[in-house]
Amino acid sequence: MKYVEFINDILKKKILEPEHILLFGQNISAGSCISGFTRGLKVKPGGRIINTPNCENTLCGIGFGSMMNGVPAIFFMKQQDFLLLGIDQLVNTYNIIRRTTPKASFTIMPVIVDSGYEGPQSALNNLADFCSIARIPGYTVTNKIDAQEIINKYLIAPGFRIIGISQRLFKTEIIDVPCVHMNEERSIFQYTKGGDVTIVCFNLSLPHGLEIHRRMVQKDVQASVFSINAAMPIPWDEIVANVQKTKQVIIIDDLKSINAPWQSLLNALYSQTKMKSPIVVQRSFEGYWCRPHHDQLQMDYDRVISDLDLQKDFVSGKGGAA
Amino acid sequence: MTMEFKKEVLHKFLRLRMAQLIINEMYKKGAFKVPIHLALGHEAIAIAISTVMGPHDQLVLNHRNIHYNLAKVHSLKSEIDEYLLKEEGLAGGQLGSMNLINEGQGIVYSSSILGNNLSVAAGFAMAKSIKKDEGIVMVVTGDGAMEEGTFYESMVFEKSNGLPILIIVENNQWSLGTKIEERRCPIDIGKLVGALGIPFEQLSSNDTYEYIEKLTALKAQALNEKTPVCIEVPLTTLGWWRQKTDEFPEGKFINYHAGPSPSVNEQEDPYLARSSEDPLFVLEKYFGEETIRKLAGNTLALLKKELA
Repeated sequence: MKYVEFINDILKKKILEPEHILLFGQNISAGSCISGFTRGLKVKPGGRIINTPNCENTLCGIGFGSMMNGVPAIFFMKQQDFLLLGIDQLVNTYNIIRRTTPKASFTIMPVIVDSGYEGPQSALNNLADFCSIARIPGYTVTNKIDAQEIINKYLIAPGFRIIGISQRLFKTEIIDVPCVHMNEERSIFQYTKGGDVTIVCFNLSLPHGLEIHRRMVQKDVQASVFSINAAMPIPWDEIVANVQKTKQVIIIDDLKSINAPWQSLLNALYSQTKMKSPIVVQRSFEGYWCRPHHDQLQMDYDRVISDLDLQKDFVSGKGGAA
Repeated sequence: MTMEFKKEVLHKFLRLRMAQLIINEMYKKGAFKVPIHLALGHEAIAIAISTVMGPHDQLVLNHRNIHYNLAKVHSLKSEIDEYLLKEEGLAGGQLGSMNLINEGQGIVYSSSILGNNLSVAAGFAMAKSIKKDEGIVMVVTGDGAMEEGTFYESMVFEKSNGLPILIIVENNQWSLGTKIEERRCPIDIGKLVGALGIPFEQLSSNDTYEYIEKLTALKAQALNEKTPVCIEVPLTTLGWWRQKTDEFPEGKFINYHAGPSPSVNEQEDPYLARSSEDPLFVLEKYFGEETIRKLAGNTLALLKKELA
């Protein structure tokens, strides 16, 4: 099953739960239904699905108003860049709301266009930047497990948040990898246990983390692979505990921003562990960044593994579970 | 409309007027750190709205919300305490003036950002429609905020979805220190909203009682026809003053926007203009000047006692 089909399936079930719900956005019940993202959504008779006009700022305000008046609202959005038009609402209205105990939810689900270059005006697509402007809870979805857990936990839970899905993964087979641990907030998911190295994947970079893990296994290197699905810095205790054992960390991030949550993780690791030099792999935007770049994060897996091997007291293949 | 009802409305009006004058005096003495946008001259529409509001109606306001809040609040002290950012304030000292909300009285949201409240109000109206709740949403904006794109966008959404909502445009002709003709072309609001099929009414008499009757009818129309209704209220924000500069030695006219009004000095005199610019003057045709002055004095004494 494709990534987008899987998410669509989860949505179909979840939105049938509340008696009242408002689903809205451009093209959500017409045309391609955002390339299948919102195809076939149905709500209970007390709910409403609205194919809206093009007015993102206003639509954000409508979502907040509906939430404040007790009706859960979900705004589906074809492209996260469009959300720039709603920044007044995301910041100013949310700052009013956050002081209250909300009766209902407002969730924005944008497609993060992380699939390459679509022109200078579609070059942002960075969930963490949006979330940082008002410390908005934000989550990314990369695979079967986190999609189920995050959407089911947050989609209609009282409060406001943004849940971003990846355009790059849209038509790919949904990643189906067993999860060995997830935290209560569903912001940290651990997919493998290994005592040699800790791999921490941010934003939508889990496929890269799983790939380097696969290559490490071939070299008898055991890694703990984590995915950080939260777009804002979170308590890092679980990652710190793991790195205290492995003393090696690889951070992978496919964000386009210069403000990244992993910087907060590094601070925690420096102060609380005796780790060796961390390896950080992120997208390269040397020179003028607002121009065509690779579709996705370019990662030289062998080089990264080789760099690990160069660490003086790294003992390949001797790690246990962490 | 009975005389008893009219007297009750006059009492509410005078309470609102005198409360603002008290706040202005405190403001002149530097009591407040947050910006307060007084609404002297806006009382007719505020009293009319608060009078026609039913228990299920919801009011969404903008930064100049003092008149609507004071018209609904039971305790002047709690509102002043809020402006002083005290914990005893109406919202625990967290909202101040421009974002003041009083949910218990149906004031569900206020925004300091021009146009921000229009779409939030549309969301409130949408939720009301989905839940089939009684009542109507009313949203207040101004001739400046209606220049924002969301004024148009929100109405398109409301009309497209058959949402009953009253959109009240307080048109004082000014945005900060700029008159309409200094910043844009004239906008015929009736034609603008008419293009969307939205009913329009202009309330310009500054007569509180007439406004109550018309708003009652417009509210019923919006609910019966499931449509937004736009109401323009031309008015004058009283409290102007003159600023003497080298360029203007006689003083340049400054229309009141926010802060203390230096030209409003007498708490004891409830009138701010002897013309229809002052909605209190308009009420003289019902009660006479002497009665109004006497009641105003009593109201002022009562309010001061409340604050003591």
